Amino acid sequence: MMTTRVISVRRDLQAAVHGQAEEFRCQLAAQGTLVVNVLSSPGSGKTSLLAATADYLRANYRCAVLVGDIATDRDAQRLAPHLPAVQLTTGGACHLEYPLIEQGWRALGSPQVDFLFLENIGNLVCPASHDLGEHLRVLLLSTTEGDDKPAKYPKAFRTSHALVISKADLLPHVPFDVDRAIADARSIQPDLACFSTSTFPASGIKEWCDYLVSKRLQMLAGEPCRPNR
Amino acid sequence: MHEASLVKSLLKQLSELVAQHGGGHVREIRVEVGLLAGIEPLLFHEAFQRERIGTLAADAELVITPVGLTCHCQGCQLDFVTDKLEFSCPTCGAKQIKILVGDTVILQSFTLAPAVEAELTP
Repeated sequence: MMTTRVISVRRDLQAAVHGQAEEFRCQLAAQGTLVVNVLSSPGSGKTSLLAATADYLRANYRCAVLVGDIATDRDAQRLAPHLPAVQLTTGGACHLEYPLIEQGWRALGSPQVDFLFLENIGNLVCPASHDLGEHLRVLLLSTTEGDDKPAKYPKAFRTSHALVISKADLLPHVPFDVDRAIADARSIQPDLACFSTSTFPASGIKEWCDYLVSKRLQMLAGEPCRPNR
Repeated sequence: MHEASLVKSLLKQLSELVAQHGGGHVREIRVEVGLLAGIEPLLFHEAFQRERIGTLAADAELVITPVGLTCHCQGCQLDFVTDKLEFSCPTCGAKQIKILVGDTVILQSFTLAPAVEAELTP
């Protein structure tokens, strides 16, 4: 007769889905697509930055975007004039998870693009814990949010490769110290590449796009690209 | 929200594991929640209380052990353990560190009781 047993497992609860994300990452690297996961608080300018980025890259590169929101397809409508866009609505969930990316990628028609952007749900907490199969994780911090945010949301900063300080044109009007924000962020992730941009009027977009192009070349050269630990 | 989705994933994985071990009822579940896992143990526990109803873990107790970070310093090549969200080596001060443990939720083990007892109860 069976008795009560202790079954030892020792398994990361997200191991299976992160394994699928890793497969997607390898598959897209092999076809030359750099996958960029964009994280930020709501309203810090992800959609505007992606529109400006697509416009800048358009002459030489093919781009597409999967855009996540809790409700509505407003962002996909905003982005559609700039690049192929598919809206992912989570129906309440506060972050994107890999199965949604797979679904969205199929809805896009699995295109031969050079850059696939993933616009995450506006949230600096939960998205940091989910590998979406990206090669590059980028965090936007707008000047209106305050320069004290990095230490308050350490995982989002720790796991990112780049920090884009957005709405830089508002710096004369808000108490935001760029050097302080960057120092705070680099105390959590010393390898962060940092940029300062604004989209109305556009500034810093070239430097940011040059960085994306250089990261894609690194990926094509076989350098490992995945979220930081 | 995030805690609830992780609990659902835990219950799904448990149901697969129980099937692999010939069926039964889950009595105790032990998980380790890392300091940088992005999960609040209290909310994880509350989500479990809600989600376990009607599952094979309906009577199970969830035991959560918080764990700190284990990191490897790329400066002095030593590993260190910390309970603080400070990302530098306590020995040499280097900021180039790699997190080895503490940024995930680990299902350590569970206790599986035979189904017989429940099946005999009308």
